[in-house]
Amino acid sequence: MNVIKGFQTTAKHLMEDAVTIQYPEQVQKFHQRYKGRHHLRRYENGLEKCIGCSLCAAACPADAIWVEAAENTDEERYSPGERFAKTYEINMLRCIFCGYCEDACPTEAIQLGHEHQMSYTDRRDAIYTKDMLIDAPAEGAASTPQQVEPGAYNRSIPDMEDPS
Amino acid sequence: MSDTVTINIDGQNYEVAAGANLVDAAKWHAGNDIPVFCYHPKMDPVGMCRMCLVELGTPGRDRATGELLRNDDGSLQIRYFPKLQTACTTTVSDGMHIKTNTQQVIDARNDVLEFLLSSHPLDCPICDKGGECPLQNLTMRHGPQASRMYFEDKQLLEKHYPLGDLIFLDRERCIQCARCVRFQDEVVGDDVLAFHERGRRLQIITHSDPGFDTYFSGNTTDICPVGALTTADFRFGARPWELNEVPSISPWDAAGENISLSMRLDRDFGGKAMIKRVMPRQNEWVNEIWITDKARFGHHFTRAEDRLQQPQMRTGGTLRNSNWEAAIAAMAATLQGADGDVAAIAGSGMSNEDLWALRQLLEGVGAGRLGAWPPTHDAAPHLEQVGVGAGTNLSELGRGDAILVIACDLEEEVPIWRLRLKQAQDRGAYLVVANARDTRLEDFAVQGARNDKVVEGDAIRYAPGEAVSVMRDLQKAHPQIAERLSRAENLVIVAGAEGLSLAGSEALAAAAANFLIESGHTGSANNGLLSPLPGANGLGLHYLGFTPQTTLNIMQEPPRVLIVAQAELLDDDPAAQQWLSQVETIIYAGLFDDGISQRADFILPLQSFAERDGSFVNGERRVQRFYTAQGPMGQALPAWKLFGGISQNAGIANLKPSAAAVMLELSGSVAAFQGASYRALSRTERQFPDVGGRDLYYGGTAYTNHGGIGLQIPTAADRGADVQRRDMADVAELRAGEGELLIMPITRLYNRQRSFRPSLLVEQRILNPYALIHPDDAAAAGTIDGDLIEIVAGESKVRVRASVSSEIAAGGVALPRHLTDAAVPLSASVGTVSRVTDAVAVR
Ligand code: SF4
Ligand code: SF4
Ligand code: SF4
Ligand code: FES
Repeated sequence: MNVIKGFQTTAKHLMEDAVTIQYPEQVQKFHQRYKGRHHLRRYENGLEKCIGCSLCAAACPADAIWVEAAENTDEERYSPGERFAKTYEINMLRCIFCGYCEDACPTEAIQLGHEHQMSYTDRRDAIYTKDMLIDAPAEGAASTPQQVEPGAYNRSIPDMEDPS
Repeated sequence: MSDTVTINIDGQNYEVAAGANLVDAAKWHAGNDIPVFCYHPKMDPVGMCRMCLVELGTPGRDRATGELLRNDDGSLQIRYFPKLQTACTTTVSDGMHIKTNTQQVIDARNDVLEFLLSSHPLDCPICDKGGECPLQNLTMRHGPQASRMYFEDKQLLEKHYPLGDLIFLDRERCIQCARCVRFQDEVVGDDVLAFHERGRRLQIITHSDPGFDTYFSGNTTDICPVGALTTADFRFGARPWELNEVPSISPWDAAGENISLSMRLDRDFGGKAMIKRVMPRQNEWVNEIWITDKARFGHHFTRAEDRLQQPQMRTGGTLRNSNWEAAIAAMAATLQGADGDVAAIAGSGMSNEDLWALRQLLEGVGAGRLGAWPPTHDAAPHLEQVGVGAGTNLSELGRGDAILVIACDLEEEVPIWRLRLKQAQDRGAYLVVANARDTRLEDFAVQGARNDKVVEGDAIRYAPGEAVSVMRDLQKAHPQIAERLSRAENLVIVAGAEGLSLAGSEALAAAAANFLIESGHTGSANNGLLSPLPGANGLGLHYLGFTPQTTLNIMQEPPRVLIVAQAELLDDDPAAQQWLSQVETIIYAGLFDDGISQRADFILPLQSFAERDGSFVNGERRVQRFYTAQGPMGQALPAWKLFGGISQNAGIANLKPSAAAVMLELSGSVAAFQGASYRALSRTERQFPDVGGRDLYYGGTAYTNHGGIGLQIPTAADRGADVQRRDMADVAELRAGEGELLIMPITRLYNRQRSFRPSLLVEQRILNPYALIHPDDAAAAGTIDGDLIEIVAGESKVRVRASVSSEIAAGGVALPRHLTDAAVPLSASVGTVSRVTDAVAVR
């Protein structure tokens, strides 16, 4: 009896489309919320969103993030406000792609993208530095550090929305 | 009136000390943390922030008869105030009832927080206080869950205002609690901060030049309940939750401030653990919860590039890099081949363990001359006899007590003592300051009113060099002052060495000891002698047999082999070149090369206090231990390991496996250290006020003491020995002859010592080389204020700017140590001053 049931299941699936794909020739479609490797975002004017607050590192359950901060000046500005990330590193071998860092970020600077094809021959290569993580500036925008008008970017946290 | 009263907190009765502050009492006895912002247990309450509101009631009395009113069931009738009261401005009274958990109180706390947050930037992510912020913590516990305000309505103010070089002010974050202003005014007495404008526009300003000019500014960042005041040193250095706290002891002076080193791994330091900041650690007997800016910001030398990192050995006439094994073997051979003609000079930065290992080594090769560096103060033998009694706590001095400070400048030498003695005077103690020149503490030694308190004090100005006879003849020359000192309930005398030779400093301590013995102020807590011995372990040197007298002897009769340990002879002593040239072999172990590598045959890198375990004896004879915190620099070794290694190689004694083991042996061998095992030194106890822990809003960010409160060595008087006066009929005092002046080296807290220079932030506060000279003497030397002058005394010849002022008595010149490149005399000596006519740049 059970044998027949088993063959029935097999027969049913024979009729359907295959679920497996031929990776890497074929690449699977991702859901919007898929969590792949991280990106550090910039504002449209090219300034970095990351303010070096280390909250992502604090939220990370895998202790994968390392941030060291330094101070911005108007002559050499990386991000709005006083503080920027001098060092920003993620150890991709430690990361479990949970996205807690993204949730913790007060400026939406760290976001998990869709890239997932990461392999290393040396475990040290798994440490993604700030240069590797940060997006290129938008079309026409300068990279960082920028020399800016004094006093123009003295707030780190984007404006609060009207709660009403 | 009994000493305790019963109060009722949330329905529970507690027996609390009469006269206690309600916030303190609730916290100490009931563990009830009444939230506060402006109240601080070390300062008078002001009732400014309204965070501490509680329901408060007292037993009702019949108006006519004054009888206590009772309910039908016989219990007392409690009459509550119709409105909430501020707990911080309330003193407990018998039968007092408070409620801290009613809806009314909960609403009030919520409202106060909402009000404070109505114009707060809430940029916690980039705020150095974030994570240890009272405003954050209290908002989470008692505050509104969401904001009803628009960001546009918030005030936008300066976020980066430097209050001087060390402290930044964020004007948006200030909640106007005035803790910083009150600290500077009430606790320190350097009234350099103030409120400017009123109401919502109120701001903190500094009105000194340079800004925030005080040696204690860092403490305001601990007690500021928000991130309005942060240090420039730690700025964005790490987040508080990333830091690892390691208990330690300030390496700078005799106070032995208990500190906590906040450690984190760092790229800038090769991925090793590095000191990110230095914080106070509570020890109510030593430094309470305060530390000096030097302790807080002066840690950079531990990672300085120019620190010695590699053992070096002279072979074939040139100094070459070597390794420990070869160097240790060579030294063992050298020492054994010296026929016992070996001596050692140890600096006051060496720990007790180091000194013990060094002493064992010397004894092992049949040598016994142990010198202490710098040979400037010789009060230690008297401190051992009649030092301040065991259990002394300078914060217990007050009304009825007296303090005499003679021949020292505590503000520059031991700032924490100066702060605590000034506060003792605020509490009513009689403060006498005697010196040949004006000092900061002397500014306080007056009769008068200060911060609504009557203070009593006197200043004695004596001719340069006369400290000993002033002390000896106090009864005759200043009968009223002497009378008040003798009659005081408790008396502490602080005797320094300013303007004195080494022998003079011994004589001054002897004269002070005589006074104490005569007036019966010995052998009990809060009575006795103190002396600002230089360095962190001046008394450790003494207890382990290293004396300044021996150093003088070594200088006069140099040995064949001299071990110099953590002493920068060339920087300190103008004659060092000369007498060192008579030494055959110099073994130098230290942190920095002061030029001795030209002569030395061995250069050995030592670890700083931050890299290793050890213990110091502070000026109050408290043995205190410090712990390994920072990653090592190069191949540096702790000194006990180096000297122990040589001993082992020479077959004298086995190398101990740890500093703890060295201490164990030491405590079994030297009577003074009896019982001072590391375990005993790390004992802690509950201290009032209960700072640290979770409720940072109460005491600030000073750390709870987990590293140990130390162990005090009893004096001879404490042990009941019969301490005797010494006859002092004639004392040899330094006298300047015709055309000469008494050149008095003085100590400045911020100076160009090798260990301080790398702390670049504070370096800007180091004064240019100068000498203080009386107008008459200046006229005689033909100079005016600002002139370049040359001072010659013995081997010392320095060029400095003349600062002409009657702050100093005629006949003496105050010449700061370690401001000039050339060394000033070790201790006071006779010399001449002349105006420099050929213009050569100073320094
Ligand atoms: S995704 Fe999760 S594990 Fe990975 S870095 Fe972010 S917080 Fe850490
Ligand atoms: S002071 Fe406290 S509440 Fe204000 S921004 Fe800083 S961490 Fe946040
Ligand atoms: S700066 Fe800090 S301590 Fe000073 S008043 Fe403002 S909040 Fe209080
Ligand atoms: S009013 Fe009591 S703590 Fe501020």
